[in-house]
Amino acid sequence: MSVSGAPVQTVRERPAKALAARLRSVSLATSMPYVYVVVLGFVIYLLSPEIINGPGAVDVRFSAAVPLAFVAFGQTLAMFTRGIDLAVGGLISTVTAILATTAADSWGTLVLLLVALVALGAVAGLINGVAIALTGLQPFIVTLATWSIWGGVALLILPQEGGAAPVDLTTLVLGNIVGIPKSVWIFVVLFALWLWLRDTRLVGDLRAIGSDEARARLIGVPIRRRKVQCYMLSGIFAALAGIWIAGQTGSGAPNAGDPFILSSVAAVVIGGTSIFGGTGSAAASIAGALAFLMIPDLISAVELSSFWSVFFQGALLIVAVTASSIAMQLRARRSGS
Amino acid sequence: MSLGAVLSRNRAIVTSFAIAAVLFLVGTIHSLDFAGVNQIRTMLVYASFIGIIGLGQTLCILTGGIDLSVPWTLTGAAVLTSVLTADGHPMGAVIALVLALAVVVGVLNGLGVAYAGVPPIIMTLGMNGALQGLLLVYTDGGISSNPPDALTSFVTGQALGVPTIVWIWLVVIVLGWALLSLTTLGRRLYAIGTNRRAAQLAGVRVRRTLVVPYVVSAIGAAGTGLLLMGFTDQAFLSMGDPYLFSSAVAVAVGGASILGGSGNYIGTVGGALVLTLVASLLPLFSLGTAWLSIAYGLILLVTVYAASLNLSRRRAVAES
Repeated sequence: MSVSGAPVQTVRERPAKALAARLRSVSLATSMPYVYVVVLGFVIYLLSPEIINGPGAVDVRFSAAVPLAFVAFGQTLAMFTRGIDLAVGGLISTVTAILATTAADSWGTLVLLLVALVALGAVAGLINGVAIALTGLQPFIVTLATWSIWGGVALLILPQEGGAAPVDLTTLVLGNIVGIPKSVWIFVVLFALWLWLRDTRLVGDLRAIGSDEARARLIGVPIRRRKVQCYMLSGIFAALAGIWIAGQTGSGAPNAGDPFILSSVAAVVIGGTSIFGGTGSAAASIAGALAFLMIPDLISAVELSSFWSVFFQGALLIVAVTASSIAMQLRARRSGS
Repeated sequence: MSLGAVLSRNRAIVTSFAIAAVLFLVGTIHSLDFAGVNQIRTMLVYASFIGIIGLGQTLCILTGGIDLSVPWTLTGAAVLTSVLTADGHPMGAVIALVLALAVVVGVLNGLGVAYAGVPPIIMTLGMNGALQGLLLVYTDGGISSNPPDALTSFVTGQALGVPTIVWIWLVVIVLGWALLSLTTLGRRLYAIGTNRRAAQLAGVRVRRTLVVPYVVSAIGAAGTGLLLMGFTDQAFLSMGDPYLFSSAVAVAVGGASILGGSGNYIGTVGGALVLTLVASLLPLFSLGTAWLSIAYGLILLVTVYAASLNLSRRRAVAES
């Protein structure tokens, strides 16, 4: 079990012994996704090297993985509390629909638009969070409802796939900064964000809520506020994902977000975050997202129909979640007896 | 028992039928055609699709779960049947095969939920994705064959002025009501939904019983796939999509608690009528499918919230 809400020493002060203890406490489950990424990458490279080292291959793959990395980050926070955020499906669609139908002639208006969309994500998350925290309804049913609502809003704004996202947005998303693709920078930023966030009181409290909500209440965790914050963050990440998708494809789709429900949950589960709350890592979920998105490459490397990847992605979620659930039960039985 | 007691005991069911009646009145006031015999027939047929799937979904929700694999189970049954019969296989054998495959899907879902302890939402979400993948591979992303004529003519037929599909739904209603109200299995499902641990201590074989709702749901979805394909005379790869929301919302409107343990299939029947009426009313006010989706979400939020208030009130009464 990881430290939750405990006082944190800075890296410089921490003696070597504590560092060693920290390394030991790194759970096996959350290290596995990195292994998957390396092994899958190696297998794909052996089968069909050009997928890995072809011109722009890594750039394209990281760029395609950015939206899932965003959504998986937010989904991890929701799953820390034993919740789930299905609304990301509709929210991402709405954001791409708005971008595909709104003109932004200057950088100024584009920036305003993007800020407004991130605020929209926060508001959508606020609605989810308040509904979950105040009514005590289960997260899946609340976010199932808001998924439907945001999906309807997206359809209202953009009845069918298409439209044109602002050209400047595409410029913003593509290209390099100091020779490294912007998409890779996003991953660096997200990892850094997690390294900071994981030791904050917010994440400690979210874990505490997930492991035992009644006890968390007793030790004074502000449960309602934390849940609202958690779904707001998830909404903001969904909006960022929608912005990236619109920039990357130059268009929108009223159902652009739907696949992200399955893929984000899968990324989190592959990343070793417990479906029963409390433990896990958003960084591992991002690695899980990369591994999940390598399945289509593996399928094309073994020259199967690309439709097989849809099957294997669903099947992988089932296998991963069943394995983690059985492992959890065995552990509970062992400690119980 | 007095009429008042019956009404208050079945408040959710009464409410869902009352809402349906009000919606029907609104439609009739707006346009007299709304109450036309043909219009009512069509609405009942569409309500049947939601209602038949709704039985399995009611059982899942009753036990604290949900089945998100409905869309591709439904699509899969329709697509497989149309492709296989077009290849010249006998229709009876094909339908038997399709329903058997549906049982396999349901059992897999049930095993994951009941024995492996996977949260139902994640298990059935993954299953939906896996089924979608298998069907895309099988059809290579498109489908061109038509449903068998025998099925179409059977499904679009009528008896005593009532469409065959509605008769089938009536049978499902009787079976569903009997299952939940008269059988031990039904009482066990309620017991599991109310308190799994207590049910276990009382001798219910919780795991084995918990597989049942997912099997019923898969059979219901597959059966509806066949009926829907026969009725619309086509099978296509997104035909199941609307039924994920509509089946879950119908159950919620019918008053089943998402926390499990309370609810009734008759309530879901009312819920299916409400949803069909909403779907028929919106176009009268020039509101399209986008608004339907928004309406479903709002209805779901409101009804689930109302049910949770109702539940906490009853608990308060029980404790005092």
